[in-house]
Amino acid sequence: MHTLVVNIRLFWQGTLLSYIALFHWLRPVTYTASKILMPLAQMMFFVLLGTYATSASNINFYVIGNAVQITAVSGIFGVTMSIGNDRSMGTLPYLFGTPANRFALFFGRAFMHVIDGALGVVIAFMWGVLLFNLDLSNTDLSALGLTILVTTFSTCALGLLMGCLSLITANVMFINNTVYFLLLIFSGANVALDKFPLWMQTISNLLPLTRGIAASRLLVAGSSLESISPLLWQELLIGVVYGIIGYFMFAAFETVAKRRGTLETV
Amino acid sequence: MDAIEVNHLHRVYRAVIGVIRRSIKEVVAVGDISFAVGQGELFGLLGPNGAGKTTTVKMLTTLLIPTSGDARVGGFDVVKQANEVRKRIGFIFGGERGLYWRLSGNDNLRYFASLYGVDPDISKKRIPALLEMVGLTGRGNEKVGGYSRGMKQRLHVARTLLHDPDILFLDEPTIGLDPVGAREFRQVILDLQSQKKTILLTTHYMFEADMLCNRIAVINQGGVIALDTPSGLKKHVSDLSVVEVETFGAASEAIEKVRALSFVDSVSIEEHDQRQLLMVQTQRGAEAVPEVLAALDGQRLGRVVVREPTLEDAYVRLVGGNA
Ligand SMILES: Nc1ncnc2c1ncn2[C@@H]1O[C@H](COP(=O)(O)OP(=O)(O)OP(=O)(O)O)[C@@H](O)[C@H]1O
Ligand SMILES: [Mg+2]
Repeated sequence: MHTLVVNIRLFWQGTLLSYIALFHWLRPVTYTASKILMPLAQMMFFVLLGTYATSASNINFYVIGNAVQITAVSGIFGVTMSIGNDRSMGTLPYLFGTPANRFALFFGRAFMHVIDGALGVVIAFMWGVLLFNLDLSNTDLSALGLTILVTTFSTCALGLLMGCLSLITANVMFINNTVYFLLLIFSGANVALDKFPLWMQTISNLLPLTRGIAASRLLVAGSSLESISPLLWQELLIGVVYGIIGYFMFAAFETVAKRRGTLETV
Repeated sequence: MDAIEVNHLHRVYRAVIGVIRRSIKEVVAVGDISFAVGQGELFGLLGPNGAGKTTTVKMLTTLLIPTSGDARVGGFDVVKQANEVRKRIGFIFGGERGLYWRLSGNDNLRYFASLYGVDPDISKKRIPALLEMVGLTGRGNEKVGGYSRGMKQRLHVARTLLHDPDILFLDEPTIGLDPVGAREFRQVILDLQSQKKTILLTTHYMFEADMLCNRIAVINQGGVIALDTPSGLKKHVSDLSVVEVETFGAASEAIEKVRALSFVDSVSIEEHDQRQLLMVQTQRGAEAVPEVLAALDGQRLGRVVVREPTLEDAYVRLVGGNA
């Protein structure tokens, strides 16, 4: 019981502090601005491009796809930084020298980004309503909220896995950017999945975001929570799987680094 | 039970060399080290750069797995019972890294307190008390990135005491501190010892080791070459005395001439801006002075003193240096 309390506390502190660290990095004003403007920029770009390339009647497709996709900014970049930062700060020896529960330590770092990412998506949807005539009058909003949360969770779980990679590679930003753009393509945010060859569809189905985006489109078009729930469960499962792989990579990293003596070197 | 027991610790690093033609080179960082530190003892680990001090400390703090041999800290095996060890130890690797620079001092301490599972009620009281102890009162709310190097090192001390550990490992804690800061730091170390904490300290400052340590192990090339109290170590050189000659830009040939004198054991040089201090170790004592001065004929000389050997002289002889 006591251990549980200690671990929950650790989870929360990690959550809180990785967020404060983010705030110190981007000042509150910068942070707010990027939170509001970044979704706008990405949506304008892809919505205008997409409707121009296909037809104006497809506008909802691009608006929703890109609004949900925004979560990858926190999920991939934010989460990776909050794990990979420990290498550049030289805190890894001090971290691994504590008896802290590694599970609480690891997931605490990601949790705030789930909230942050979800917030980004909500703002993106607001831009959709304000600028691109997105009509949410037929939409079960609480179901959409749930979809956003689940999708953000699974994207953050992929971010955790990338964060572990950032502990062993010097080239984190390159990997992050690559993953971000791969998600942009494979998630179906801007291309209908059935236009993909089969092998690409397979990859799409193994990634987070894909089902979340599909579910969001269905919900906006008026589907019920019940009818999209299989998509949500699968999205959740994908998140859990990535999270578990990430956690084991984190644990393996610690073991290997102690054996090889590479805690402070790349 | 000893606080720290080290039995034949041995550690090899494998380094991959080259990019295209990769080959593996093995570096023996710690050859075979054994020693024991009693409860409440302040134990020094001295040795030249690359001797294996940090590697030893890393193994004792559970951050590095020994290649062979074993060690117990606080009665627990550092590999098999790593978590039990971690609960009971604090450690600092000298320098300013290892803190979250974007966070305030308080936030850093709060996070580490939660990593050590310290109860929030306790850490709420302990954090201000520790900040006061290390002289950072009133600076806790500032971002660590804006701290000076010395301030960061002080924060490390506070960090490592959050969970009130019994055993402390301090690897070059005073490196890069100004003289006053280093003096305050030594006082902190003495205070900790008076609280019955066991402390393992590495340092390159011999007077610091002499002043602080109950016992000292000198290690060189991965092995213990001497283990004694500071005065015991000085006995190694009790037959010696030291002729100190102040010179101003002495030519190296002249110094070589001194070195070549048959009764001279070794010569070490301390550089100060314009002048150098030659420390000539010899068994002849004051009688050596005329010949040493003759060897330095033609050089600009200052003060000449004959003194008793210090720990540094003992160290220099032990590690075999004409440093
Ligand atoms: N991570 C590592 N990978 C490979 N070799 C290493 C590593 N760390 C240390 N070594 C090697 O092991 C040897 C001992 O290093 P160590 O850092 O323990 O010395 P030290 O006594 O602490 O020296 P200093 O006084 O300079 O701090 C050195 O030859 C060093 O090059
Ligand atoms: Mg060292």
